[in-house]
Amino acid sequence: MIKLERRAIPPWTWSFLAAIIVLVLTYIVSGRGGSQTITLAFTIAPYLVLVGLGQMLVMSAGPGNIDVSVAKVFSLGGLIAIAVGDVTGSWVLGLAAAVAAGFAMASISVIAILLVRIPPIVATLATSLIASAISLTLAKGFQGSPDPMLKGFLSWAPFGIPAFAVVVLIFTVLVSLFLKRTIWGAQMLAVGQARRAAEYAGVNASKVMVFVYLTSGVLAALAGALRASFSAPNVELGNDYLLDSIAVVVIGGTLMTGGRAVPAGVWGGALFFILLDGLLNLIGWSYAGQNVLKGFLVLAVLFLASGAPILGRGASSSKPDHTIADDHTEPEIKPLS
Amino acid sequence: MNTAILQQAQLTWPRGLGRRVLPGCLTLVAMVLILIVCGMIQPRIWSQNGLTLIMSPIVALAIASMAQMVMMSIGDIDLGIGFFVGMVTTIVATLLRDTPVLGVLALAGAVLAYALLGALVQLRAVPSLIATLGASFVWLGLGLFVLPVPGGMAPDWLFAYAFWKPPLSIPAPLVTMVAATALTWFVTRRTGLGVRFRSLGSNPVALTRSGSSLVVTRMLAYAMVGVLGVLAGITLTAEIGGGDVNAVPGYTLTTVAAVILGGGMFTGGRAVAWGTLAGAITLGLLTVLLTLLSLSSNLQPAVQGFIVIAVLAGRLVVERMSR
Repeated sequence: MIKLERRAIPPWTWSFLAAIIVLVLTYIVSGRGGSQTITLAFTIAPYLVLVGLGQMLVMSAGPGNIDVSVAKVFSLGGLIAIAVGDVTGSWVLGLAAAVAAGFAMASISVIAILLVRIPPIVATLATSLIASAISLTLAKGFQGSPDPMLKGFLSWAPFGIPAFAVVVLIFTVLVSLFLKRTIWGAQMLAVGQARRAAEYAGVNASKVMVFVYLTSGVLAALAGALRASFSAPNVELGNDYLLDSIAVVVIGGTLMTGGRAVPAGVWGGALFFILLDGLLNLIGWSYAGQNVLKGFLVLAVLFLASGAPILGRGASSSKPDHTIADDHTEPEIKPLS
Repeated sequence: MNTAILQQAQLTWPRGLGRRVLPGCLTLVAMVLILIVCGMIQPRIWSQNGLTLIMSPIVALAIASMAQMVMMSIGDIDLGIGFFVGMVTTIVATLLRDTPVLGVLALAGAVLAYALLGALVQLRAVPSLIATLGASFVWLGLGLFVLPVPGGMAPDWLFAYAFWKPPLSIPAPLVTMVAATALTWFVTRRTGLGVRFRSLGSNPVALTRSGSSLVVTRMLAYAMVGVLGVLAGITLTAEIGGGDVNAVPGYTLTTVAAVILGGGMFTGGRAVAWGTLAGAITLGLLTVLLTLLSLSSNLQPAVQGFIVIAVLAGRLVVERMSR
């Protein structure tokens, strides 16, 4: 069984395949090749990848785990980074402040989840409300502009390769190694697969929860700070990142029920989404059409890539708590009527 | 001995009643408190006009919360309800006004789309969270197709409703909310269909053993969510007078909070229509209270967030003590 799985196509293949198809379509439609499209995609994708990696860690920590605060924390990170950077004159301090803000926001989620035992979706929702209140207060009469040096670095692309994308790529590799090679990573995935079994094996599940939510918060705030430095800070800067981050993680092959994290797939999903936006802009589709298509794509991916086989029975469970229950979606013996 | 047990059973409350009703009661107390504080600050709200004024923005939220409650009673979560309600307002403000037949067909199509979504969730074992999230892109896009910018006009009969004054100086929004809640309560707690919904959330095996189809049950539940979402959209159109797909994206999460405040659970199997109504009104009144306290509207989300955490923490304490 294990051998079979190893020989199977890696789960991130599909997202990259989709991205390449969209890229080829873009070339056909625009009638010219060239690396410009790729450079642009790699300039914008890293921010989504950073948020996506955090979301991926949270989602792979088990069913029900999701961070819906990433969008507001993203915006907050951007505002704080620019504000602090403007006051102190140092972009490093600005980024540090954003990281601290992300950490603080995620701490609220962690306290609510672990101590008050609030379901993650409501806990992170509360956090997101608090973060958005802080953002709105900060944005009133907001002044400050991104540091030119940092902005220069973020849009710097020697030989058409954005330097920032390379940094995030290295980070992705590190996350991947962390999950595959370290005990911490193995413990995290173990909790995602079967929390109780992992706890019996001596894994501290609470520690894992603290870790994934804090990482997600920090990454979202950092991505927001960098994104704001790239363009301009804005209360609504992060709004698209909630749905997009979840979508790219799922498209990338990470299991929605936890236990399997695919960092490479986040890149594939992010490139796919960004190239798709570009293609749809190119052929003159409105924002409305883009959303409809995006939605249908997410649903199509769910239809094709979910646990259940398309033909045949024995649907795999969407909620492991009901694993036994779901095995009986189609009863083998029809009850007498 | 048997009679002793029987007597004991007769004397005690049904099992789980406290756990089911208590959270909603706590929320009800919070709601009344907020209402009293509001009344102390601004006594003029104690009139038909005053109550109508503060309650009319809550109607759509309350009905959308009913939709979320049905969704959560089968163990699912709807992350697309905010944009769905927004999309319905765009249809109501354009198609339903200009060509009523097409409008009704479009709304029926929306409900059908929800039922199909339910089939997808059940047949392909997809988490509802992600499926409804994907659908929310579709709702947003369709809404933008119908009305790229906020506009349109509510049908005349909706305007007539907006200015309706019931007798006995009962505020009109209250009538609508109570009617919608009573309907939801009746379907989820007093019909066989409601029993099937709840057992789909708590014990799907029992449901299949009893001879029901999981797919059909889930599709019917999703269709009911769609119907309630359409109703919420219609009342929202009456409130804002036009259509805007981006009117209430916040509903998605606020409705979840309302259900939780009302005593609902994420694991499903619990349908708490009246508690959810109390939860939705509480969350809606908070905005009124903060406005009356002349707090900056920027702080309102944070206060909402803290209240949700505080109420849930309070419930945890109460549950621990009652054990």
